[in-house]
Amino acid sequence: MKRAAFGHIGFPILLLLPQLVIIAIFFYWPAAYAVQSSFYAQDMFGFTSTFVGLENYTRLAGATNYVNALNFTVIFTVLVTFFSLTIALLLAVKADKVIRGAKTYRTLLMWVYAIAPPVAGLIGVMLFDQSRGNLTQFLASFGYEFRLGVNYWDTASAMIAVSVWKQIPVNFIFFLSGLQAIPRSVREAALIDNRSGTSRFWDITFPLLAPTGFFLLIINITYSLFDTFGIIDTLVKSEPGNNPLTLVYRVYVDGFRGGDLGGSSAQSVVLMILVLILTIVQFRFLERRIHYT
Amino acid sequence: MADITDTNVHTTTSATTRRPKRIRWDHIGDHAVLIAGALLMLVPVYMVFATSSWDAITVHREGMQFGFGDQLVENYNAALLEYGGFTDSVNGLTMLGNSLILGLGFAIGKIIVGMMAAYAIVYFRLKFATLAFWMIFTTLLLPLEVRILPSYEVISWMNLGNTYTGLIVPLIASATATFFFRQFFRSIPEELIEAARIDGAGPVKFFIDILVPLSKTMIAAMFIIMFVFGWNQYLWPTLITTDESLFTLVRGIRQIVQSYADGSETPDYGQAAALAIIAMTPPVLIVVFFQNWFVKGLTESDK
Amino acid sequence: MTLKTTLSLGLAAGLMTGAAAQAQTEIEFWHAMGGQLGETVNQLVADFNASQGDYVLTPVFKGTYEETLTSAIAAFRAGEQPNIVQVFDAGAATVIGAQGATIPVQQLLSENGVEFDIEDYIAGVRYFYADSDGQMIGMPFNSSTPILYYNADALEAAGVEAPTTWEEFAETTGPALVEAGYIPLAQSHLPWIFTENFFSRHNLQFASNNNGYDGIDTEIMVNHPAIRAHFQALADWQEEGLFSWYGTGWGDNQNPFEAGEVAMWLGSSGSFGGIADRVEFNFSATMLPYWEAVTTEPTQTFIGGAALFAMSGFDAEENAATAAFFDYLDSVDAQVMWHTETGYVPITTAAYAAAGEQGHYDEFPAAEVGIQQLSLPAGDYTRGYRMGFYVQIRDVMNREYSRILTGEATVEEAFEIIETEANELLERFAQTQG
Repeated sequence: MKRAAFGHIGFPILLLLPQLVIIAIFFYWPAAYAVQSSFYAQDMFGFTSTFVGLENYTRLAGATNYVNALNFTVIFTVLVTFFSLTIALLLAVKADKVIRGAKTYRTLLMWVYAIAPPVAGLIGVMLFDQSRGNLTQFLASFGYEFRLGVNYWDTASAMIAVSVWKQIPVNFIFFLSGLQAIPRSVREAALIDNRSGTSRFWDITFPLLAPTGFFLLIINITYSLFDTFGIIDTLVKSEPGNNPLTLVYRVYVDGFRGGDLGGSSAQSVVLMILVLILTIVQFRFLERRIHYT
Repeated sequence: MADITDTNVHTTTSATTRRPKRIRWDHIGDHAVLIAGALLMLVPVYMVFATSSWDAITVHREGMQFGFGDQLVENYNAALLEYGGFTDSVNGLTMLGNSLILGLGFAIGKIIVGMMAAYAIVYFRLKFATLAFWMIFTTLLLPLEVRILPSYEVISWMNLGNTYTGLIVPLIASATATFFFRQFFRSIPEELIEAARIDGAGPVKFFIDILVPLSKTMIAAMFIIMFVFGWNQYLWPTLITTDESLFTLVRGIRQIVQSYADGSETPDYGQAAALAIIAMTPPVLIVVFFQNWFVKGLTESDK
Repeated sequence: MTLKTTLSLGLAAGLMTGAAAQAQTEIEFWHAMGGQLGETVNQLVADFNASQGDYVLTPVFKGTYEETLTSAIAAFRAGEQPNIVQVFDAGAATVIGAQGATIPVQQLLSENGVEFDIEDYIAGVRYFYADSDGQMIGMPFNSSTPILYYNADALEAAGVEAPTTWEEFAETTGPALVEAGYIPLAQSHLPWIFTENFFSRHNLQFASNNNGYDGIDTEIMVNHPAIRAHFQALADWQEEGLFSWYGTGWGDNQNPFEAGEVAMWLGSSGSFGGIADRVEFNFSATMLPYWEAVTTEPTQTFIGGAALFAMSGFDAEENAATAAFFDYLDSVDAQVMWHTETGYVPITTAAYAAAGEQGHYDEFPAAEVGIQQLSLPAGDYTRGYRMGFYVQIRDVMNREYSRILTGEATVEEAFEIIETEANELLERFAQTQG
């Protein structure tokens, strides 16, 4: 909250109302339903449901493949978030800096975001295909046999590469708009005070970008966790097999694909709690350091 | 009203600092990075374009193509104008229209709802502002796939199946826009609101005359992202629509490439690639259109 | 076929709306057939609509099999279900288990005055989607069975015939093909081809309760010495270069065959049309090999693919429309059209005979192999299987088989895990059924 805030009561509630109504109906009600079903064993049609207490949860703790998925999810999320943020930040800073061709670079770097997710997945799967993939053939010319779907880490790298590729433009757009929103006065003052580009970036630009950066950090973590399952699904051809899988993909596999409502609900509740803890930690420790003017 | 903004934000003025200089090595480095980035992003897109000019069998045998084949016109013609589906009511253009409605409705709806909520959270002395923020924020934590069955039931009770409202409104139930504008509003200098108070501006006037113009770049960024997000929706539209006249481009693409993995038939790669390129065009036009909003920092002269 | 089909569809639709717009009963059919197959489905439905004036059926493409089934279930819970939904083999237990969600097809047809005799259907087709009494619940739609495709040029170069037994493959065919410069063997679906149909081909019991048909407290019996020996052989063949595995994806294993690197590939009888479009070498097909050490009287396989289920909750009029469509679907014309256009097997013996009379198998001998294999003598355990959460059970199999073939686990370890985890899943499924 701003220090100098308006004191009205009715008006802000009116402003919040549409958002709160929509999330109540389309998020909290369905989510509460998911939490409830995590304590039941029920058939998909909703004919029978038996209360099973915490059974759906306790089973997860013992499942080795659940633990494997948890480990892979951590690695995957860290790498995807890191690479998509740093590459995008680098490109945004450069695109903000150059004068000649600035417009062209910006347009080119943004427009990949327009590509539809199933197409992104298809591009990935065709580039990395075992027998006809362009990248597979390229790697083979260096003597590396890339085997998507057979070798665990080959498959993992393809997932990370495609996920990063798809996310860079989003981060680029937000970083660039954040950079552009830095008042000219500040930039110019910085230019006069500080001659080295690098220290200017870390001292002035980076702190000013921090609110955007924090937003993007959270958004990228949720992207890696939740929105990459389409890419993963395409790359593994909808067959989990012995491939690396993220927790959300498991939720999808067991619930949407396999019809195990109770088990998949329990998985998503666990996931939600984990991510909530993670974000609370980030808000407490990271956001404090962000200097909102 | 932009002048209120500018007089407050820009305390110093000098118009002549950034001017192209002689060729410098760090400039070349900057361009090299940007060119490498652009290539990384665009070569795959180029390959989709090249692939859209080939017949399905060649692509199936050899993978994506670098050169051009002779099926370009046929593929685009088929993708755009040929009527498909059972009722013969859908072709590429109909799907384009539906995707457009979905993208625009979603982006505009989300920005309005999100900005209003963020404004309320940041600029008012509300006791439950933090609670409201966290309630909204939590929606980032559970993806649609997990709550899809109950969401469907809600839509059916409200009789919104096969409607644009049913397609768009449930997707707005997520925190991205609110969170984003909250971050941005918090970084806007405090002096602004004080100045507005002194001028006697109420909350509505402040919002419309000051915050909205200040947020132009942010709105543009949000609009691009959200438009494309809505434009590219697949699972939710597939679940709740049965009326072919509501089918979207992404669904059309999925329908063609669905058999990619099973090998029983040859998916029409060329046509799918053509549809993918067509599906990219409107979002790219929007990027180009908003381009000027992104460069305002450099070109806008101080008043 | 696109433009011509489109025109004829438009014409048919135009004629219908002109004829009797008022009295017609409209029903919906949700399916998962994309691409060309989807167009053939549209054609089939248009033909049905044109064949009579009382009912209008609208097909709706609902994504993948999983998306279609989940959509239909979500719709059912909200009272918006379609009249007909296409359900894939591994999802059958979910739908059949939910009694009251569907009307058994046999009952639906009888109630609407359509004569039904299960003996009209090809043997391997009859009971997969039936209940324990042999009453057909779902109408088999796109049906296929695993067969062995071979590159005839490669086999000729190696001077061998396609093998009928795995012993023959290991001793003669495989080594000769290696000699001729080929990878002898690949396959596309280990759970379907080398597990479910392995049990059927050798007439071995796959699960308790009569392969799961007779009760819900079923235990899987997958940990059988014969199949362990088979996977041990696969691992050995992989080592010796007789067999190659390209992951769990279907197409990844089929592509090397089409590229001419792999000489023999086990796939679906429905894969026939796609291969014919794409390969330049001569190819043909033969039945799934068996182990002579396990049986000297190999039995039939059963169908995979998907079936159509009539959902409940509609008035007599709409159910009559559904019955009329199923009746039409069973007709010789519709079956022959579906069979020749798509490569899926016809489900009735009459349609099989008619396709033969039209000379379809003279032109494409490989198209007949699946049907012949489905018509082989039956055994006690050849009707199929009925197990809940079977999608997840297949996932467990795929994971463990991958571990065998990448050397992460021994055959014994893998089968022990499959047995344990599958039985846990079955137990939980039983729990969801109340």
